[in-house]
Amino acid sequence: MSLKKFSELFGDLDSINSTNNKIEVLKNYFLSNDPIDNSWAIYLLTGKSNKRFISGRYLKNLFSQMYEYPQWLIDTCYLKVGDSAEVITLLLKNKTNSRKKKLSNISLNELLSVTIPALSKLNEEEKNLEIKNLWETLPEDNHLIFNKILTGTFRVGVSIGLITKSISKLINIDEEIISHRLMGDFKPSIDSYEFLINKNINLQELNSKPFPFLLANTIEDKIFKNSLNDFQFEWKYDGIRMQLIKRLGNVSLWTRGQELVNESFPELVEKMSHIKDDFVLDGELLVWDFKEQIPFDFSLLQKRINRKSPTRSIQIKYPIIFIAYDLLEINGRDIREIKLENRRIELEKYFSKWKIKTENNISDIFKICDLIFPKDWTDALTYKEKSRENNTEGLIIKKKTSIYSSGRKKGIWWKYKVDPMQLDAVLIYAKGGSGRRAGLYTDYSFALWKDKELIKFASAYSGLTNIEIKELDKWIRKNTIEKFGPVRSLKPEMVFEISFEKIQISKRHKSGIAVRFPRITKWRKDKKINDADSLENAYELMKKIS
Amino acid sequence: MRTKQEYLIRYKDGNLYCELADIWIDPSKPVKKALITHAHFDHFTFGCEEYISTKETAILLKERVGDNIKIKTFEYGEEFKINGINISFHPSGHILGSSQIRFIFAEEKWLISGDFKLQKDQTCKEYEIVKTDYLISECTFGLPIFKWNESNKVANDISKWITNSPEKTSLLFCYSLGKAQRLLNEISQTNFKGNIYSHGSIHKMNKSYRELGIDIKDTIKIENKKKIDELKGSLILLPPSLSKGSYLKNFKNIQTAFASGWMSIRALRKRSGYDKGFAISDHADWDGILEVVKKSEAKNVFFHHGDSEALSKYLVEKESINVLLFGS
Repeated sequence: MSLKKFSELFGDLDSINSTNNKIEVLKNYFLSNDPIDNSWAIYLLTGKSNKRFISGRYLKNLFSQMYEYPQWLIDTCYLKVGDSAEVITLLLKNKTNSRKKKLSNISLNELLSVTIPALSKLNEEEKNLEIKNLWETLPEDNHLIFNKILTGTFRVGVSIGLITKSISKLINIDEEIISHRLMGDFKPSIDSYEFLINKNINLQELNSKPFPFLLANTIEDKIFKNSLNDFQFEWKYDGIRMQLIKRLGNVSLWTRGQELVNESFPELVEKMSHIKDDFVLDGELLVWDFKEQIPFDFSLLQKRINRKSPTRSIQIKYPIIFIAYDLLEINGRDIREIKLENRRIELEKYFSKWKIKTENNISDIFKICDLIFPKDWTDALTYKEKSRENNTEGLIIKKKTSIYSSGRKKGIWWKYKVDPMQLDAVLIYAKGGSGRRAGLYTDYSFALWKDKELIKFASAYSGLTNIEIKELDKWIRKNTIEKFGPVRSLKPEMVFEISFEKIQISKRHKSGIAVRFPRITKWRKDKKINDADSLENAYELMKKIS
Repeated sequence: MRTKQEYLIRYKDGNLYCELADIWIDPSKPVKKALITHAHFDHFTFGCEEYISTKETAILLKERVGDNIKIKTFEYGEEFKINGINISFHPSGHILGSSQIRFIFAEEKWLISGDFKLQKDQTCKEYEIVKTDYLISECTFGLPIFKWNESNKVANDISKWITNSPEKTSLLFCYSLGKAQRLLNEISQTNFKGNIYSHGSIHKMNKSYRELGIDIKDTIKIENKKKIDELKGSLILLPPSLSKGSYLKNFKNIQTAFASGWMSIRALRKRSGYDKGFAISDHADWDGILEVVKKSEAKNVFFHHGDSEALSKYLVEKESINVLLFGS
């Protein structure tokens, strides 16, 4: 089976909008290709291999060097296209048309398990020549895929859910089972594909794998019509959502992104392995302020996420806690089908047992989430508003009678997030977007007043509709003061409402403040630049919150 | 070097103008005398006292806007004189009747490329290489990322796109004059043998092409109240203006595509809102522009209709060709 088939699949998936058609196309692809190529296809489509062999910049330099092509011209083209792999693919059309070399017809498996890994063993010069050789021997239709894999930018509008559905359709087995099989680190091989499409469900093999996560939906007004007693209320923590699994004595920590992160949090794995029972817990990992009994800021957690095998001093400096909110399995018994309120009873029961019976003290690293008991919906709102005081994002509201299904199922869990903080700011810079937004100015920088000067305080990309983006793009082109490469400085005229989650002191920024998750929530055409907020307003906001 | 005022042809109020002959080229506002390179609406405006074009362009224009315009026609290559300037039309390969316009005055040659392409197109005369001293060229696709595939390859892709979804109605959006006829001509040579329908605006142009001796496959004029079942598996050609709004509600179970040179870029394809994009253009790609610049032997080149910064820099650096800027 050739790479060409995969290129066609990519083209189809890229141009089909309907989910059902995508599933059909995938199913047909799996039916007509080798198990090994299928396993690679799944690996690529689910974004599990975003390993970057060379950077986009390197790719562009290489092309420039190999074909004596002006670098500035490549850069100009990049502004229009927004993707290094695609720019080089398009430019290659001019270079490889007259080629004489025999075209190779390699398989997806060969490309990914032999050709590309072999590149990293070569010295730079050999590597460059080999890439050029591949450009000239691979059929033109495959260049985009090849360049994208090389630069680790292979992405297509296919979710893991879609792969799950198509495999499920292919072999006629429940999506849950497939979803379960796809969890964790899927390694491309004939075996892993055959395991995936195995019609016999083997419980043994599923042992270390987490259950599909149940996700919360944004709150809807209609929920307030229900009786408060139908729901369980919890704080919404801003940490890493995780399933903590202990089966047959082994502990595994799985993130929602299906990563096994035992190595990053060895102290948790160690402590939890002393518990006598087997279990699957759903919860949140946080860096915890044990004095105040609230989480530390997410930025501290970030210091732990990407660090494998943290030293003892790191473990002490950034103490973690796992807060469980649900018990999904106990001593081999899957209890996801029993009601939440009963699962909660079980969770509390086992937690007290473990606290007393476990040899090492576990409560310095593990607890179950506290419940909140608002008197009425207005009271719930008050709790939500107070959530900033204890460093949480709001409330999670769960239906007491619900079972633990998978995905973002409607009507089971809701998130009731605290309203964001907002400031009105002036647009001062714009930069060209990339990917889908190439050729448009979509990356914006905003400023606040300090005396009579506008000081940059945040950059934002999201929040405008496509129509607004186009309108603003036009305005930007007409109101540019200066161009610096891809960035334009703009006439201060447009005011936008910027919302963000957190505001804190930052020495790195000229404004002296940093905000988290800034986004545009309104184009304030009704406001003049003098109506925009000042840095002083921002400092006041910060004071109010801390 | 001469000042901008002294050039035979210059930019005035955003249009190309020859003062010596008091004549405008494709003006966007009413003037006394207008030379028209081709019959697309962005090259034509109502209200000029007199138009001058090729015979084909005149016929297509009248078909589109009515007989109520005064239009003088010349054959390709036929020279005529205005105020001592020799003027002639030459095929530009863009659409039927499209032309480049050459001016000769005091032994100095000027060539306005008009919209042009070098690619093969059985529905119009092939681009003619015309030698000149000054070249005014369009550069709509003036970046090397634009490199057109052979049009029969694109037509085969379109054919595959339709036949792969036999349960659907395939709506292909394209400009009603030129692009639609070229596509029809190409698609009729592919494996797709199903019904082809076209919108009234396209249907009308097909007829004119046929009357001018171009072999265009017969299509069925699409009526608003067609039975949905009849349209299954067939192709419908529509102008891009109908892609937004309520018109599409006339159909069920459709897939849409847009045929345009811009569709070679993935981001534009995604943003366009069509299911699929076919990169086919009636303008020259990067190589085409370079070829025309070189073969025209022009010592001085002006660009318009497009982003010419990169193209100009490339020609100056790599080809040592003098690229001039119009003052507007």
